[in-house]
Amino acid sequence: MNAKRLETSRLFHRFGFGPRPGEYVQALADGLAPTRTKFLTVPAVDAGASAIKEPEITDLGKRPAPNSAEVVPFAIAMRYQSEQMVLWSLDRMALSDHGLSERMTWFWHGHWATSIQKLNYALPMYNQNKTLRTHSLGSFNAMTKAMLNDGALQFWLDGQDSTLKAPNENLGRELMELFVLGVNRYSEDDVKAVARALTGYQVDRSSGAVTINQNRRDSKPVSLLGTTSTFTGDSLADFLIARDDCATFIAERLWYRFISSNETMPQSFGAKAGFANRSIAGAVSAMANDSVMSNESYSMVKSPVEWFISACRALELTPSQLKTPGQLIGQLDKLGQVPFSPPNVGGWPAAEAWLSSATAQYRIAFATWLVKQSALRALNEIPPASRVLQSTDWLGIPEWSPRTQAALRRSLSNPQQFALLALCSPEFIVSA
Amino acid sequence: MDTVTRRKFLQLTSGAVAVGATAPLLSMNEIAQAAIDRPLPAGTPILVVVTLYGGNDGLNTVIPFTDPIYFSSRPQISYKAETLLPLDAELALNPAMKGVKALWDQKKVAIIRGVGYPDPDRSHFSSMAKWQTASPARHINTGWLGRWVDSQEEDPMLAISLGSVLPPMLAGAKRSGSALPIGGLVIPKGALATECLQLSKPARRDTKLMAAAATSMRNLFSVSTNVQPVLKSPAPVSPDLPTTNGGNAGGDSNLAQQLDVVAKLIAVGSPTKVWSVSLGGFDTHANEANAQAALLGVVSDSLSRFMGQLKATTRSNDVTIMVYSEFGRRVVGNGSEGTDHGTSGPMFLIGNSVKGGFYGDQPSLKNLVKGDLAVTTDFRDVYATVLEKVLKSPSDPTIGKWSGRVNCFA
Repeated sequence: MNAKRLETSRLFHRFGFGPRPGEYVQALADGLAPTRTKFLTVPAVDAGASAIKEPEITDLGKRPAPNSAEVVPFAIAMRYQSEQMVLWSLDRMALSDHGLSERMTWFWHGHWATSIQKLNYALPMYNQNKTLRTHSLGSFNAMTKAMLNDGALQFWLDGQDSTLKAPNENLGRELMELFVLGVNRYSEDDVKAVARALTGYQVDRSSGAVTINQNRRDSKPVSLLGTTSTFTGDSLADFLIARDDCATFIAERLWYRFISSNETMPQSFGAKAGFANRSIAGAVSAMANDSVMSNESYSMVKSPVEWFISACRALELTPSQLKTPGQLIGQLDKLGQVPFSPPNVGGWPAAEAWLSSATAQYRIAFATWLVKQSALRALNEIPPASRVLQSTDWLGIPEWSPRTQAALRRSLSNPQQFALLALCSPEFIVSA
Repeated sequence: MDTVTRRKFLQLTSGAVAVGATAPLLSMNEIAQAAIDRPLPAGTPILVVVTLYGGNDGLNTVIPFTDPIYFSSRPQISYKAETLLPLDAELALNPAMKGVKALWDQKKVAIIRGVGYPDPDRSHFSSMAKWQTASPARHINTGWLGRWVDSQEEDPMLAISLGSVLPPMLAGAKRSGSALPIGGLVIPKGALATECLQLSKPARRDTKLMAAAATSMRNLFSVSTNVQPVLKSPAPVSPDLPTTNGGNAGGDSNLAQQLDVVAKLIAVGSPTKVWSVSLGGFDTHANEANAQAALLGVVSDSLSRFMGQLKATTRSNDVTIMVYSEFGRRVVGNGSEGTDHGTSGPMFLIGNSVKGGFYGDQPSLKNLVKGDLAVTTDFRDVYATVLEKVLKSPSDPTIGKWSGRVNCFA
């Protein structure tokens, strides 16, 4: 496989959500190093993303009593706001000019995986997404501190029920296991200690506002990972993040979501060293420059949202304009991935989990639905004589297998079928 | 008979010969509909897992009807003793569960009491993940039956989930069970089908994951050609279910239809050893009594109908049904005639090879653990037993070293 095509394709499909028509060819002409720099540089203005209107998401207040007259309008407003929020986040992914900012926000959403299904209010989820976007390529330390004060995360992990009298371990455990250190890098006593240090947070569920109630806080010193101290949320974040295990863990998570979900991370993987000062941009940059980027062993399955957005970009579709938004969310739900509704605090699965026979069926149905709504401008502009091979450039993939070429060649007279097969091909479902 | 069904018929016949002519005798019509290539050898045990999503209130399912604390704890939602279906001197079934009561009287129902896991988690999602992965202490991405699928020879028909999304329970590290959406698969037809099949062919330079993507497409077609005709045959209309008060914690709403399809596919010899079906709506925080009774009625009626359908096949002795939910509910009712998330609950194992009766200790209403029922049986006791006694597989590779068992099989 052509190494330059492979690495450029990986930049587009893993560090962004796939190229828009023409972008891949342009990047190949620009060369790898300038393309990499372009991906890693956050532009001063992102015209694509800033053209998207923020959704109107308000504090809906306390949920009315069941079966009361007020509960129906409340439920309608709640559903409407959630839908607007999902469409807004999908539009940002599809229309942003700087793929990496959105890609990293998406990565962190799956990392600090919080679901609206428990919270049942859009506003705190929306605020959390903005927090993740603010810090997506910034300091992991600042991000962690912000997340400990995030109402959606606190509520999701029962932080508001964790008090001096009855510390709840949910948040403390996940903070170490899933967010900062990684499993088995602490003891059960450390979990208890962190739980005590994190007591006293209170969450206003509908707004997500977080306060600390000193009367519910356990402010006695705890012994954590060999150090005895009185921790606040901030000092706890400082303490955990300074540990070497934190750099190992974040490198592992980046590896899992960007390089390979089923191969082991080699010791030499650069993201850990790039994370030395806990700069997320540093880790991501080191990863983008690592030699693993051109190693053919590390292919990745696109998750349903990643697949859908890369299809939207190729087909020049805007998610919120698809008919209808309800059907769109239904399609994503069938594939098992709707933004703001991860299945659990561990985030969405990866790799083969997205390759069941049912997924294959839903992907075909989804692609059929999408292709019908696109003018297929970019595809139709490729002369039929060279359409099979050149469609790799349109979609930003290194090459078609002879298998897929055969299917596409026989579909030349039917552009819709051609596009559908291309989007459902193993080469597009999987980033080579 | 068109050419396809004739070809299938020939395959079926030769398959039957290959396994010693023990394939079930079927009507021509059924064979034409079923189109199963490789019938499950007769006598192969089959597991049907029924997941009740939302947290079924175990205390209003198997009810301690002589315990005054039951009535005083939840005055608004306790059942009157005289309406219940007594199982012994202390416990009775919910009045809606007449079908299961009849099976109990035939000694086909094992009720395992107080089932859960250490440090109960009250989140639907986390708790269901713990049950489905069989890993309560640590989150992992494979399900216990998915790991069992991993240990078997590759076969897309081995484990099938009815409904739209494959439950984590059936996701393995290498392979997964298949999901079979109810109401029939929408499979490409004509030229598109030909080209989709073309995309499912292996390519020399495929990465492992690209090859897996191609396989998933291939499996879609093989599952669909095998089962599509069966699904097209009429299924009973699902009863009306309450949708307002049961929450949205997963699961499908058409258990009767799902089990009807399972019964048909078992009857025609689908080479499937594990079936997964589900019913949602058990998250009864409010106005519980009616909603839960309606749901339990659906469970009970569907299961007894399913057992009845199996009676007409040669497979009735081979099938074991396992029913569970992610947690029980609080003992004390809440302020809105419902109950909040709790801990342990009863599991049901139903089948001709099950030794009917009670297993595990009934959690005491007097000695609660932080206001909740104690866990008296770990669900891994049940899983290990089911793996060994039903699936005839060692339990270690699937759930790790685990010593507890439930002695409910002959």
